[in-house]
Amino acid sequence: MSGEPRFIVWRRLAYQALALCILAFAVWIIASNTQANLQRLGVVSSPAFFTERAGFEINQKLIAFDANSSIARAAVVAALNTVMLGVVTIFAASLLGLIVGVARTSHNALLRGAGASYVEIFRNIPVLLQIFFWYFVVLRWLPPVSASLSMFDAVFLNNRGLFLPTLQMAEGALHWVVPVAERFSYRGGYVVTPEFLALLIGLSMYNASYIAEIVRSSLQTLPRGQMEAAHALALSRFRTLQLVLLPQALKVILPPLATVYQNVFKGTALGAAIAYPEITSVLMGTVNNIVGQPVIIMCVVLMVYLTFSMGIALLMHWYEARTRRWG
Amino acid sequence: MDWLRRNLFGSASSTLLSALMLVAGLWLAYSLIHWLVVDAYWMGTGPAACPDKGALCWPFIRERYYQFFYGFYPMEQRWRIDVGLAAAAALILSFVFGPRTYRRFFFPVASLTYMLGAATLFLGGWGGLEHVPTHRWGGAFLTLVTVVFVFALALPAGILLALGRTSTLPLVRAVCALWIEFWRGVPALVVLFIATIMFPLFVPEGVNFDRLLRALLAMSILMSSYLAEAVRGALASIPSGQHEAAKALGLGFWRRMYLVILPQALSAALPQIASNLLGLLKETTVLLIIGVPDLLGMVQAGASDPAWLSEGALMTGYLFTAFVFWVCCFGLSQYSRHLERRLTAHRHPEPS
Repeated sequence: MSGEPRFIVWRRLAYQALALCILAFAVWIIASNTQANLQRLGVVSSPAFFTERAGFEINQKLIAFDANSSIARAAVVAALNTVMLGVVTIFAASLLGLIVGVARTSHNALLRGAGASYVEIFRNIPVLLQIFFWYFVVLRWLPPVSASLSMFDAVFLNNRGLFLPTLQMAEGALHWVVPVAERFSYRGGYVVTPEFLALLIGLSMYNASYIAEIVRSSLQTLPRGQMEAAHALALSRFRTLQLVLLPQALKVILPPLATVYQNVFKGTALGAAIAYPEITSVLMGTVNNIVGQPVIIMCVVLMVYLTFSMGIALLMHWYEARTRRWG
Repeated sequence: MDWLRRNLFGSASSTLLSALMLVAGLWLAYSLIHWLVVDAYWMGTGPAACPDKGALCWPFIRERYYQFFYGFYPMEQRWRIDVGLAAAAALILSFVFGPRTYRRFFFPVASLTYMLGAATLFLGGWGGLEHVPTHRWGGAFLTLVTVVFVFALALPAGILLALGRTSTLPLVRAVCALWIEFWRGVPALVVLFIATIMFPLFVPEGVNFDRLLRALLAMSILMSSYLAEAVRGALASIPSGQHEAAKALGLGFWRRMYLVILPQALSAALPQIASNLLGLLKETTVLLIIGVPDLLGMVQAGASDPAWLSEGALMTGYLFTAFVFWVCCFGLSQYSRHLERRLTAHRHPEPS
């Protein structure tokens, strides 16, 4: 900025100082109001409540948890539930989106049409409505425990959820633990709750429509010569996609894909609408109702989501850098 | 014939696929028609019209239609909503068909006047109009109010944020970038929860903060951050010659932006702005989780009325809501695609 007249340099400094003052003033007003209000309500903001006994149960947990565990542990259980839902949804949505996106570039007009209908239907209906549909209509229609749908007598589906066998280490050998029918439910194995299923299906199908569009438009920007050259090498259509087209399309796909993945993680918060125990419903709902510490809980929840968003961005950035080095 | 051969029966596998899809499609169409029309209940009134709780129940929609649209707004006051919406339609039409000077200079003023006028009309409480508090607002009316209010507030705010983020002042740039990235990284539902729990703590004691207004402000903050990103991308695509030319004409920063840069950037950002508007329309459903009954919330509430309580009524309600949203979103996306095509054709004329 050496070439600028001195008064412009001063003016720039003055503007920034003014902006800083306004910002500081706004922060100060909000902070002092909040403090005064909390004082009036008799709330002393302190993170000490995290070590208290939780006193509530969580029906889906990846680590041991019961009512005697601490609230901090409840937060970890809830965060893990968010991660599990997010990760499984990302895999399912990517697979479905890839299939639909490739279908939209097919030579077969009916397949193209089916792909287009999928995208236009699922993209234009609010995802919360889709989740409600799966949860309140479809999953409620499943038979009761006594009439479960079963596959190989090992996987059971009923209105209590999906019961899966698990691999367990016992007496030095791995073996399957198959869910066993009891009067009202199944014992053993792993239970996928109806809430998880509804969120998984709803979020996957919605986000898959966006991924399909990303895949389609990236495939269509590739030069035609690529496909023709692969044909000339006598590669089958599937091998062409796998070896020639998709690796090149990946470069264009990754940045918008990262946005969709971030949206998936943000979408998991909708679990609060059907009481899936993820971070928003457990901390902002259950825990806040018990301890009444909105300021600290708000900060924790926001930090958790920002960590997820930044984590995905960094991961995608790293992956992009790695593929660029190869390519 | 040639088209059929190439697109449906190009090879043996393609022919097989076509046949399979044709059969599946016909079966799907057949069962859909059965489900939607043949097996569904059409006639009669009241919950008794649908004895089978599993089948679709269209009388539910017919009888609740007004509530889905107007929420709990008093019956004899509903003309106010009709007037307000008609005025909104007129305003939008005037934007679509109005001349450029109108769009740029009079439309912002007209929209601001409209928003203030509509708010006082809907709220009432003056000149003999009954006061209708916002907790009685609901249904599609509330969805529309949300979309209009949030978008009208977020677009100018988003433009300012985008200008801030591309500013040459490092401090302004950093603050705007931090602000935008922060809000883009957190879920709408969390922000709405924070708005309902925290906003009252932010203001001095005694200041009453309407619940709906809190939610709308929270959504506006989010939306302005999304729009800021859309506009920023477009700002970066404006060639630097435009800036220099405007400077050479002696235009100051704000006039340079308003008269030269922004009109170009906004039309370049149109597809992203439109997709954010669609996102906003779909996102309004989240309001029902914090107890503000939008269209979906009203349907949900209507179907959990003990008299109607049945999967059939709920499913019909969802189907109706999905159809309404689908028509709006699909229509908007087609319109934005049309505008986009017209703009690109205008900017890069095809060599004839």
